[in-house]
Amino acid sequence: MGKLEGKVAVITGGSSGMALASAKLFVEEGAYVFITGRRQEQLDEAVKAIGRNVTGVKGDAANLDDLDRLFDTVKREKGKIDILFASAGKGEALPLGQITEEHFDAAFDLNVRGTLFTVQKALPLLSDGASIIMTGSNASAKGFPGFGVYAASKLALRSFARTWVNELKDRHIRVNLLVPGAVTSPMQEEVLTKEAREFFESLIPRGKMGQPEEIATVALFLASDDSSYVNGVALFVDGGMTAV
Amino acid sequence: MGKLEGKVAVITGGSSGLALASAKRFVEEGAYVFITGRRQEALDEAVKLIGRNVTGVRGDAANLDDLDHLFDMVQKQKGKIDILFASVGKGEPAVLGAISEQHFDKEFGLIVRGTLFTAQKALPLINDGGSIILTGSVASVKGFLGFGVYAASKAALRSFARTWLNELKGRKIRVNVLSPGQVDTPDSQRLDKATREMFESLIPRGKMGRSEEIAAAALFLASDDSSYVNGMDFAVDGGFSAV
Repeated sequence: MGKLEGKVAVITGGSSGMALASAKLFVEEGAYVFITGRRQEQLDEAVKAIGRNVTGVKGDAANLDDLDRLFDTVKREKGKIDILFASAGKGEALPLGQITEEHFDAAFDLNVRGTLFTVQKALPLLSDGASIIMTGSNASAKGFPGFGVYAASKLALRSFARTWVNELKDRHIRVNLLVPGAVTSPMQEEVLTKEAREFFESLIPRGKMGQPEEIATVALFLASDDSSYVNGVALFVDGGMTAV
Repeated sequence: MGKLEGKVAVITGGSSGLALASAKRFVEEGAYVFITGRRQEALDEAVKLIGRNVTGVRGDAANLDDLDHLFDMVQKQKGKIDILFASVGKGEPAVLGAISEQHFDKEFGLIVRGTLFTAQKALPLINDGGSIILTGSVASVKGFLGFGVYAASKAALRSFARTWLNELKGRKIRVNVLSPGQVDTPDSQRLDKATREMFESLIPRGKMGRSEEIAAAALFLASDDSSYVNGMDFAVDGGFSAV
């Protein structure tokens, strides 16, 4: 029997990268998953890659109407949520001095505002004892040039986790932050140059970036009862990059 | 197939409490474990409780000769270590103003000095890709009255983790700290009702952890599920230190 037998998971941003790898693993462990993404084609490919026990719901996590539609779909199809993995997020690089309002708004609207309303709108469907996982970034523990807005937006989620642990304690809902470091993914290939990638690899003790599957196993841990006494943590999954 | 199939784990302090629960869980997941303890009786009971695939080695982790004896045994019986779980150390209270040299030497001698030499003496036997887990405490990020020496000793381990993960990176050995919060154990059951309720009121779910819940987190750090987790001070405290 899998670790998530009979559970329902909602994974925003689950149509690519680490979140997709997690969705696949959750299904292997017995869960039914709802994944979201902004592009229908990519969403359809993701649903096919997962293969079974999955519903793809097109939508932008920064758009509150799309969130309403997502949770209407979940309510109709399954009626409950055991695992909410708010992983929709994006980072683009701009240093202080060149930051536009659009750059700021794009990051904070999706990473912070969108995540907050994802969790809030999920509340009525969350089971007691549910697990909320948000995706942070190890950039928040450093000062990588150009990633100031991104890092700040992700650290805001760490703060949300603390508050929501407290506000949701009567329902025994756990809230944790999964904090990836450098992981190979389509988004990363979009954002980082070859030089930037090699720079990050030089900072990782083992010299190699993480694989999406190495994030997925940690997401599974946080989603399952194996982490029943883990609450309010920022679980860094970065190979020790920020520890040294 | 268990998550630790074919692995060898050495768990100092594994004859009682959270470390014993972890030893049990590791064996259930396919590992062979060596556990240590200072009292033969407790050690024998622990070995019986675990049931199979376990060797009990009597010794004090603060005593470097005992550590040599431990690793001699491991080398003779198994020849390798995949998981080193250094879990000795208990907190005894003493507030600033009333701290004796004995109190300081005892806590730091066991928790810091003993853990350092445990890890160092294990090094020749640890496999590449191995996992070192040090038991910290949420006390190290708080200021509990009377636990200053204990908290500082556990904080020192968090620093060791950072340094050792760097020094051992060529061998791909991961080093993490597992910091338990309040857990229901024979020790905590000895607390008076008012103190117990006070602790429970600070935990979001209102109930202390169970040793099995710590064991599950230890298993996570010991296994490949945490292959990209390194240098973490991992609090397993129900959110106590987060809020």
